[in-house]
Amino acid sequence: MIRKLLLSTMVVAGCWFAASAANAQGLQVPKTQPAGQELRISGVNGTAYVFGPATAFKAKANGELVITSDQLRAAGMYTVVSDGNSGTFFVVADKASNVAFLARPSRVATAKTGVISGTGFVLDKFNNLVMQPTPVKFSLAVPGTPAETRSETSKNGVAFVRMDSGKKSGAAQFVAAVDDTEVRRVVTQTAADPCNIRFKAEPSKDGIHVVTDPIKDCSGNAVPDGTIVTFTETDQKGRSTVDARIKKGFAEAELPNEGSANLSVASGVVIGNEIHWGGK
Amino acid sequence: MRKTLWYAMAIAMIVLATSWISRRVLAASTPSVQVQLSTENVQPREVEDATETAVLRDYKLAWANLASAMEQNRADLLDQSFVGFAKERFGQAIAEQKKDGLRRRYVDHGHKVEAVFYSYDGSALQLKDVAKVEVELLDGSKVVATQPVTISYMVLMTPAENSWKVRDLEAVPGF
Repeated sequence: MIRKLLLSTMVVAGCWFAASAANAQGLQVPKTQPAGQELRISGVNGTAYVFGPATAFKAKANGELVITSDQLRAAGMYTVVSDGNSGTFFVVADKASNVAFLARPSRVATAKTGVISGTGFVLDKFNNLVMQPTPVKFSLAVPGTPAETRSETSKNGVAFVRMDSGKKSGAAQFVAAVDDTEVRRVVTQTAADPCNIRFKAEPSKDGIHVVTDPIKDCSGNAVPDGTIVTFTETDQKGRSTVDARIKKGFAEAELPNEGSANLSVASGVVIGNEIHWGGK
Repeated sequence: MRKTLWYAMAIAMIVLATSWISRRVLAASTPSVQVQLSTENVQPREVEDATETAVLRDYKLAWANLASAMEQNRADLLDQSFVGFAKERFGQAIAEQKKDGLRRRYVDHGHKVEAVFYSYDGSALQLKDVAKVEVELLDGSKVVATQPVTISYMVLMTPAENSWKVRDLEAVPGF
């Protein structure tokens, strides 16, 4: 009894495997198909199904199934099914014609090493990632200065670069280019810390008038207006400080005139000159 | 002796059948997805431990959400895990499926994922996924075909407010 049951199970299993194998032979479809190109599959009759990454539909075919170019825009795996047979093929990206570009940061100090990064994703006209190695040209420049240019070849559709900020402050144009397509991002380069600060003092109606020379970074860029400059007066009674903002390139303030005192100036970590005021 | 052999064969077949059925039932009812993530060969920077944990969590969730969305024909289920091209394309597929009364059922047998690119600024992560995923294509409730079990995917993930989302998920012929 058990023997008969086992034998019939094995026969059924054998038939099932044979049927699966027959199905696996399937429809005659290409292994790969370029994105956005029509595909005609012959030998398809009756109801056919097409499943893809951005599509799924049922169609009637009479000897030939036509899948339109619009239905094959998205790269990925497609399966066609008809009358118990099926075939699978891959739609692959067309030639590179676009780039999605990420650039960071949007604001950076001048003359810093490796602070600007860019990543380019190489795409075809249907926004599929192009896996073939493709040269991507990156360039960075403030208008009126020579551009720093780098060419990187994409791997798995991605090219990346790390660049130094330029010496000149301003709105730097960071560009990634593939073929004739350019994508532009703006990276604002601002003056770095002051290189040195010099100030002078003179008596005024209310005390001592202190004023700096124009404040610049080590590349000669004017430190942005609004940057805080601290003036300090130290005398026998103690210390008093006044914070002033840079306006039109320099900072100024009024300090109390208490006779003999030491005057100094600083901004961030940069300390300027000292002046001994009054006394002997 | 011969009788014992037949009994042994019978038991073996019952065990195999039970295991096959239970795997099917479990796969259909459990949303958990098995993912092994390796970040050893990533360039140009390393993936931080916290990022690795978050990516693993969110990538598993993305597959669970994709499976639910495709089976129930509900594009809204993509929102939690997909953005950009991926969301757009899967959304379009769901709309077309729905129109023709079709569905896809994912039976997920696990993923071997390797991180290959992590941008300097941490804003993009690219993965290669060798997935053992059986996709059943259904017309109503009838299975019309089953897609191959091992599929290679190229994946692009980007960080959102408090999670990583899939921006591109593309099946490729191979790596």
